[in-house]
Amino acid sequence: MSEHNHKLNSNEPAPAFTPALRKQIESFLTRYETKRSAILPALHAIQDELGWIADEHVEILDKEFGLHRVQVREALTFYSAYRQKKPRPYHIQFCNNIVCCMLGANEVIDKIKGHIKKFEEKGKESPFGVEGVPCMCVCDGAPAMLVNKDRHLKVTKENIDSILEKYASLKSGV
Amino acid sequence: MGDTLTKVKITTAFEGKPNARALKTYVDNGGYAGLKKAFTMQPGQVIDEVKAAGLRGRGGAGFPTGMKWSFVPKDDKGPKYIICNNDESEPGTFKDRYITECNPHMILEGMIIAGFAIGANKGYIYTRYDFFEEIKWLETAIREAYDAGFLGDNILGTGFKFHIDHYAGAGAYICGEETGLLSSLEGKKGQPKLKPPFPAISGYLHRPTIVNNTETLAAVPWIINHGAAAHKTMGTEKSPGTKLFCLSGRVKRPGVYELPLGYPIEKLINEDAGGMLPGYNIKACIPGGSSAPILTAEELKGLTLDYEAIAAKGSMLGSGAIMIIDDSMSMVELLKVTVDFYHHESCGQCTPCREGTGWLANIMTGIMAGQGKKDDLQRMFEISRNMEGKTICALSDAAAMPTKSIVTKFGAEIADFIERGKRA
Repeated sequence: MSEHNHKLNSNEPAPAFTPALRKQIESFLTRYETKRSAILPALHAIQDELGWIADEHVEILDKEFGLHRVQVREALTFYSAYRQKKPRPYHIQFCNNIVCCMLGANEVIDKIKGHIKKFEEKGKESPFGVEGVPCMCVCDGAPAMLVNKDRHLKVTKENIDSILEKYASLKSGV
Repeated sequence: MGDTLTKVKITTAFEGKPNARALKTYVDNGGYAGLKKAFTMQPGQVIDEVKAAGLRGRGGAGFPTGMKWSFVPKDDKGPKYIICNNDESEPGTFKDRYITECNPHMILEGMIIAGFAIGANKGYIYTRYDFFEEIKWLETAIREAYDAGFLGDNILGTGFKFHIDHYAGAGAYICGEETGLLSSLEGKKGQPKLKPPFPAISGYLHRPTIVNNTETLAAVPWIINHGAAAHKTMGTEKSPGTKLFCLSGRVKRPGVYELPLGYPIEKLINEDAGGMLPGYNIKACIPGGSSAPILTAEELKGLTLDYEAIAAKGSMLGSGAIMIIDDSMSMVELLKVTVDFYHHESCGQCTPCREGTGWLANIMTGIMAGQGKKDDLQRMFEISRNMEGKTICALSDAAAMPTKSIVTKFGAEIADFIERGKRA
């Protein structure tokens, strides 16, 4: 899977928790039967709000919310949903399982990678990053992908360009 | 023997209705009537009714639901839990998502009835995190159910207390396994636990817990409302009722089909789904999610969609995910995708699975790169054999079974690929 990841910037500073995020995490601590059950929702909330989960965030969960850093790190590294590096503005998760592959997923993934490479050749950073992910359980609409939280179905090498262009123009405000 | 041809919509009853997901739509069309009827029965009678209906777990294992419920200790007065396994992730499956889309209240009603039957006061719906829209629909339904008095401390004035909360997974296939799911719900790595004790005795936080698949729970209200006898008029004697089949691949109309168990697979493909797209032929079929051993096109002739008939062909009905593999697909690629998936998803706690899936993936990487060896097929078969029945959960078997079947049934094509170093 890692081959689909774009180059990562490990020196990116960790974004600070917003008051709303703190309040949300606070509510998880007593919502479930055990405090430990708050770990997964807390990590989702951080990622939703800040895009990724930094080492500093794990420390905050430990020191300020009493969620043990070892237990937090255990969840963070076990579950593939969590990103430990800052993603590009549009993070693409493309299904590379059986039906999507049969219907051409790998060709589309290659095309997205080519798109990203063109930016890099000009010395610019592409607004897109792409990774192959296991079955998204929408096989009746294969090939399928997620761009951040937007689900796209029947993505082909013919229509991928127009989908990417739409996001790219959103980014540049055109 | 029930009717195996007439289509009755149970879990997809709200398909295509305007405002399908709203509580009002649900109640106006007989929703929560099953719950009201359950409240006129004794909890033991509810369990007996589900047992008599012959409902079997729709997540893949096909275990009798009523029997599972009856394992919960009746004299235990402490907390008990109902967990809806909505962590749909078996490759090829998309039915639990569809039920959530059609009407999530059916899932809630099934959970409340199950809670009443086993004496639980708390339920969780565990959904895969990337069902972003679906999770919102579930949360809306839960809020509506609280507002209407179907959830809370005194449901419909009966004194029965039941609460439901929602919990999102985090991208781990293994959390579809019931004890892996429970570990995850406890905030831990989603690693399965040794059984026994089974969750019905010691599950979530070591308390009696029933984990049922979404489709299973969604079928419960209808069964209580219409009775076990009505349920048994559909499907086969050993596989009564309807099942959702997720048909995918190059058929004209892929999608979710609710059909009586025992329905002919060729009728589904050729009539309901309109047959194959022009220019494509069926090469093979994976009948029950990617863990199910593959069937050749020849083996589909006369095959019916029930647990027993598919087992007799050496495969399984599983989750009802029918993937039609057409002649454009290389079996080398199919096997590579399959073993890579299980290698990626192995939780790592049992050696035969952690190492075995890795070895299979390595061999397939070699073959794909044109560096396959003549004895690779035999080696994959041997590795698979040594992965079966030796681990805490069934993921290892789920990787071994399709591998063995593909290597056996399509060995010539793979051997040819190894010989040429590429596809013919």
